[in-house]
This record gives sequence, structure tokens and C-alpha cells, in this order.
Amino acid sequence: MKLDQFLAMEVGSDQDDVLDLRGLEYSSSYDDHLMCPICHCPFIRPVRLGCDHVFCQMCLNTAIRSFAADRDDFTCPTCRAPTRDVYLNVPRILTNMCDEIPVRCPFTSEGCKEIVPRGHIQSHADKYCGYKPMDCPSPVCDKRTRKKDLCPENNCMHELHKCLRCEEEIMEQDYEEHLKELCPSLKTTCPDCQATVFRKALREHIDVCQEAIHPCTASKYGCPIKMKRAELGTHEQSCPLITIGPYFEAQNSRLNSMELTVRHLQQRNEIFEDGLSSIRSTLVESSRAFSAHHNNTNTDLPTSTSASSDIQRTSPNDHDTSATLSNATTYLLSLHESLREEVAQLSHGITDLDARASMAIMNECLRLKEDMAHTNAAVTSIRMQVQWLMNPRLHQGQRTTSGQNGNDSRTGTVAGPGSGAGPSSNTPGPVRVRRLSDTGREGTKL
Amino acid sequence: MFASKRLGKELMKMQEHLPPGISIVKSENLEEWQMDIKVLDDNPLYQNEIYRLKFTFGSKYPIEPPEVQFIEIKPTSTEPPETKRPIPIHPHIYSNGIICLDLLSSAGWSPVQTVESICMSIQSMLTANTRDERPPGDSDFVSYNRRRPRDINFMYDDDNV
Repeated sequence: MKLDQFLAMEVGSDQDDVLDLRGLEYSSSYDDHLMCPICHCPFIRPVRLGCDHVFCQMCLNTAIRSFAADRDDFTCPTCRAPTRDVYLNVPRILTNMCDEIPVRCPFTSEGCKEIVPRGHIQSHADKYCGYKPMDCPSPVCDKRTRKKDLCPENNCMHELHKCLRCEEEIMEQDYEEHLKELCPSLKTTCPDCQATVFRKALREHIDVCQEAIHPCTASKYGCPIKMKRAELGTHEQSCPLITIGPYFEAQNSRLNSMELTVRHLQQRNEIFEDGLSSIRSTLVESSRAFSAHHNNTNTDLPTSTSASSDIQRTSPNDHDTSATLSNATTYLLSLHESLREEVAQLSHGITDLDARASMAIMNECLRLKEDMAHTNAAVTSIRMQVQWLMNPRLHQGQRTTSGQNGNDSRTGTVAGPGSGAGPSSNTPGPVRVRRLSDTGREGTKL
Repeated sequence: MFASKRLGKELMKMQEHLPPGISIVKSENLEEWQMDIKVLDDNPLYQNEIYRLKFTFGSKYPIEPPEVQFIEIKPTSTEPPETKRPIPIHPHIYSNGIICLDLLSSAGWSPVQTVESICMSIQSMLTANTRDERPPGDSDFVSYNRRRPRDINFMYDDDNV
């Protein structure tokens, strides 16, 4: 829907009989997501923009009217996306959730205590609420009366009647209530003395009623007596607990102050104990760390040996004399600190050494690897040479055997010179051998 | 009616929860509120200072923007120095407290803004600033301006701060 069409739509909040949902009092808090960002109420007739931001119909209407003189300039109030179209279809779940939020009846001031979901408030106010002010049925009366007070005969309920007892002028609609509850001339009887008093004076009467039963003032100190006020006076004169009362009071206050001091002292004590235990634990730690340290490093460290003897010497001392305790502990603590420093130095040195050693090992390894590679290369070259050298031999052997075979097949008589021609290099045999060896060399190259 | 309802709702929400560095000083009536803001990071220009903002709402809030400016509270001899509230130094804040921020003009305003969001915008405007200066022509403006902030036609040309 275009903006102009949207603006032309009837907003519908100006009608008299339709409740202004924005003015309702929401009895519980509601989710921020259900809140129109403009009026901060749960959406009332929500509409949607192209960017999916939702507003109340009326809020958006006002916003468009006041921000975009020509309708093309309007941007979404939330994200400032240029907007030309408004969609009336928002998800049903949104309207349902907004309609479910409980609100108070708008006639709370008239006495209606009803809390209903927002979706039903209109029908509640229209049909069911008994507190809705209605015009008086009498044509001459311009007052309004609550719906429930309207009498079926359609009489005016605003005629004034004089209360027979208190002479007050009461409207007819309130007359019954006045007669039963409010009229100050109503009388009642005191439950204790059976005297008849005005209702409004009953409270004062009970405070002074001589017949009312009261406990003794010393009941908090254990006096079990409860009697009528008239007799209580005589009892209180003889009650031993009342005479001793002030003494109890003084004792109580003293006890309280004592308790306070004790609590204070306890706190201080706890603090001291904490301190002591921490000192002890540091002592134990330092001696343990020291002994470990001592076992590990048998090299002579003059400070550490003296420290160990000091620890041994001072540990009996702190049982004996508490005066030297603090001195000894500070000394020990300082010792402990210096030892810790030394240990830290040592560990530092160890890590340093470790690093250096591993570096050296690595260097050595590299060198060895290189050497190995050299040797490997040498070995392969030697192997190649050996192969090269071996090849002619092998070949000669092959050739002689094959020659022998051929000679055998042809004639058996030339066997002697045939075998003698093998070693001689003038025969065409070696040429073939060399070629063969060449191919062999190529093979090794590959 | 619309404005007071909406402000009432905002106030209720802010009393439950406020972002860090923002606090309500005065919100008794629904026409003028005062808020204190602090810059939370370690920007040396605004460190250890609290600034006071005055909001003046018209009857058309939130359709129309509120008037927002800093106000200065000078330290007096009778009161402790914690009560002082200076005007923060910023190239868009005049020394009489008037703020040049497009969000607060009717052109840049959007009805979804709240007192809380304005405070946060100003907070971040201060946080992002590194220039220790007033706007150009500050002394002239301060001595001659008798207009209300909403009637001044600012030029919003600087997008950096």
C-alpha cells in the first residue's frame, strides 16, 4: 500500500466508545520486542514497512505526517531505509501476543479490580464491567452512575436522602452501603465489657476498656498473669517481676554490649589465627623446599647450609619463647625469600644449560648428518666404479662361455684358440663389450 | 498525554537498568530531565569528569526531538568539588553547552530514539573525539546567540567525530 493510501486510512482512535489502548495501564511488564519503538506500548494495530520494521498504525501515521512533507522522503524511523510502501499484514502471532498482555480495567478509579488480556478489554468495558460510568436514566439529572448501580426501574439514583441517624445527605446509590457500613452513628458492643459504643469510637474504647483482659507488663520477664485492666493495677503493685524489671533491663543491656565485644574479639582472633597459620605454612614450605634443594645440589652453598641450621635452631625456639617468635619469623621469611631467589636462579641456569646443550647436540647432529651424506656419496661412487670395473670381466666371462658354446656347436677343434682369444684385446669381442658397458653406465646414471 | 506516557515508560525502564556511565539526576516532572554522563574509556580529554545534560521535552515528543544541551555547574566553596559539572571540550560543543549533533535536529531525529539512546550517542561522540578544541567561532556564537538550540540551523558537515 502506498503511503498516501495509508495516511488516508481511518486511524479509528477518535471514536468515543473505543478504548484508547495506549492509555491503559499494563499490569505486568511486557517483552521489549512487542513494544512499538515510537510509543513504547505493545503494538496497537501493527503495520509493517518494507524493511520488516513494525509500528503502530497511529504512530507511523504521525511519523509520516511530521517527517516527510513530500511522501517520497520518508525513511523508516528505526533503520532509515527509504520507504514507499506500508504493509498491513503483520504476522498473526505478533497481534496475538500483543492482545494477550494483561491490562487493568480502565475503570480502576471507579473500583473495578479486573485484569484481563488486552484483546478482551474492549468487550469487558463494553459489556461486563459493572463500574463503567453511565448517564443517569433520568432526563433531568446530568450525573453519571456506575453500571451496576443502575436500578432496573430506571430511576435516577442521585436523589439525596437524609440518613435517619447521622443526618447526613446521602445519594440513593450509596445509601445502602452507608447504612450498613459507613454511618458514624452505628453502634456496636464491646466484646469484653458488653458496653454499647459508637462504631467509630470502638477502637478508642478498647484501649481504655476496664474489662478487657491484658497481660501483666512484666510478661516479657515471665509473669504468666493475664487479667482485666481494673485488677491489673493491684497485681502490678505486688508483682515481684515488675520490681525486678529495671535490674533485668540493665543486665540485658550489659549482656548485649558483652556479646558485641566478644564478637569483635572473635573477629580479631580469627584474623590473628589466619596470620599465624599462613606464617606456619610458609615455614613448612620453606624448610621443605630447602631440604629438597639441599639434596639436589650437593655443591657447597654457604648460605643454604647456614639457613638449614638456622631453621633447625629457630624451630625449637618458637615453641619456647613467643617474644623471639616474630624476630625469628621475619628472619626466616627473609631467608626463605633469598632461598627462593636462589632456587629461581638455579632453575634459570638449568634451563639455560638445557637450551645450550640441546643446541650443541643439534649442531653435532647436523655435522654428523653431513658427514654421513658425504660418506654415502663416496660409497655410491665407489660402488659405481667397482661395477664399471667389474662389467668387462663379467662380460668377458659371458662372451667366452657363449663363444665356447658356438665353437662347440661348429667344431670341437678350435676350442683351444677360442678360449685363448678371450683375454686378448685385439679381437672384435672387446668392442662389443665396451658398448655393453656404456649402456650399463647409462643405467647407473639413471 | 502521548509524551508523558512515553516518558513515563522510559523512566520506568531506566530506573530498572541504565547503561554504564549514565545516571538520572532529575526526572520529577515530564518536561525537563537532567542526566549525568561519564566517558568510560581513558580518553585524556574527559577523564575523571562528569557532565550534566539537560533534556527539555515538548508536548510532541517523541515525534519531535527534545532539546538537549550540556549545563555547567561551577564548583562553589560551600560544596565539595565532586558537584562541579563542566562543559566538555569538543569541536561540536559550544562553550555554552549547545551541542551540534544531527541526531538532535528535526532532520536527523527519529521517534525511535530515547533519552537513553541520546545519552549513549553523546557519550560515544565524546569518546571518539581526540581534538582539544571548541567549534570555530565559538566565542562569537556564545556571546551573540539568543536563539534556542532547536531554532539554530546547524550545518552537519563533519562525519568524523
